[in-house]
Amino acid sequence: MKLFSDTISTLENAINYSNIKQKVIAQNIANVDTPNYKAKDVTFKESLNNAIEAKKTDVRHIDFAGSNQTGNSTIVTKSSAAYNNSGNSVDVDKEMTELATNQIYYNALIDRISGKFTSLENVIKGGR
Amino acid sequence: MASINFPAVSQVLPTTNTNATAASTAASGQKSFAAFLKDSLNEVNKAQNESDNLTTKLAKGEDVDLSQVMIASQKANITMQATIEIRNKAVEAYQEMMRMTV
Amino acid sequence: MSIFQGINTTGSALTAQRLRMDVISSNMANADSTRGKLVDGEWEPYKRKSVVLQAQEESTFASHLNAAKNVGNGVKVSKIVEDETPFELVYDPDNADANEDGYVQMPNVDPLREMVDLMSASRSYEANITVLNASKSMLMKTLEIGK
Repeated sequence: MKLFSDTISTLENAINYSNIKQKVIAQNIANVDTPNYKAKDVTFKESLNNAIEAKKTDVRHIDFAGSNQTGNSTIVTKSSAAYNNSGNSVDVDKEMTELATNQIYYNALIDRISGKFTSLENVIKGGR
Repeated sequence: MASINFPAVSQVLPTTNTNATAASTAASGQKSFAAFLKDSLNEVNKAQNESDNLTTKLAKGEDVDLSQVMIASQKANITMQATIEIRNKAVEAYQEMMRMTV
Repeated sequence: MSIFQGINTTGSALTAQRLRMDVISSNMANADSTRGKLVDGEWEPYKRKSVVLQAQEESTFASHLNAAKNVGNGVKVSKIVEDETPFELVYDPDNADANEDGYVQMPNVDPLREMVDLMSASRSYEANITVLNASKSMLMKTLEIGK
């Protein structure tokens, strides 16, 4: 019985991505004065949501590993970086705008998933 | 008097076999419902365990995200509520049946 | 990677920037100290100090296995170094520390440079405070799932 729709899975993945992005932004801003530090970024693999499933024609066939909770995002070095003369590539203004964007994104995701859970609860309780 | 061809009674009235088939479909319906409920309970168990694991990790300060803990606990909660409601409905249906006067 | 990793990272940055500001204060306070250290029986003027910042990488086993997940743990001051630029010579024959030619060795502290450094440090500190507030409000919002 599949209680939780694909939307909820998508929201979960997005929340995990936003969490990692927040940590990366914190790390970048913490190292804004560190010489030779290159700014980091997070990639978000949208295609891996639930799409890849092993096609089993026999019960002994093995499943692909289920998408684990932090599995979809990886941390890379920002490629467009311009360095200042100490080798540091953190653009503090860009990081601050990404911080604000990420915060709003995260709040929106939490609102949505909370709304979905609440509506599920209402359906189950039959409006009582 | 000319004979009137009445079709055989058995051809007009349906046989009483349908009751037996109805009972067997009802029985197989019951059986699959029991399996369904059992699956539900397994899911509840799994969800509760998952939620407990994550909560323990949270309490110990290990590698976990707060959002994962909250979402897992909500899922466990909802799965539990769903199963409880299913059980309630099944019990209600049974009681309804028992109340029918023969 | 506990739930507070972001906040810990920012905390380390706040500590590092505050230490940097303390070092700058020390430099400013000692901009005129002709007697910084006793070396071979002779007084040497105060040498300008500066901090060396170093990014901290995660050190758990799991993070080493999976470098693609390695966010990092903030920043730390790895050491405080002394500036080796030569001392300024100022002509002041009446000074107690003047040499035979009447020149006094003054510390190699440039107040303008220290002020700029101080502004940079305090801007970084403020940016990190903003990050801290953002992280905290995100965590508080997470606690409201399902309410």
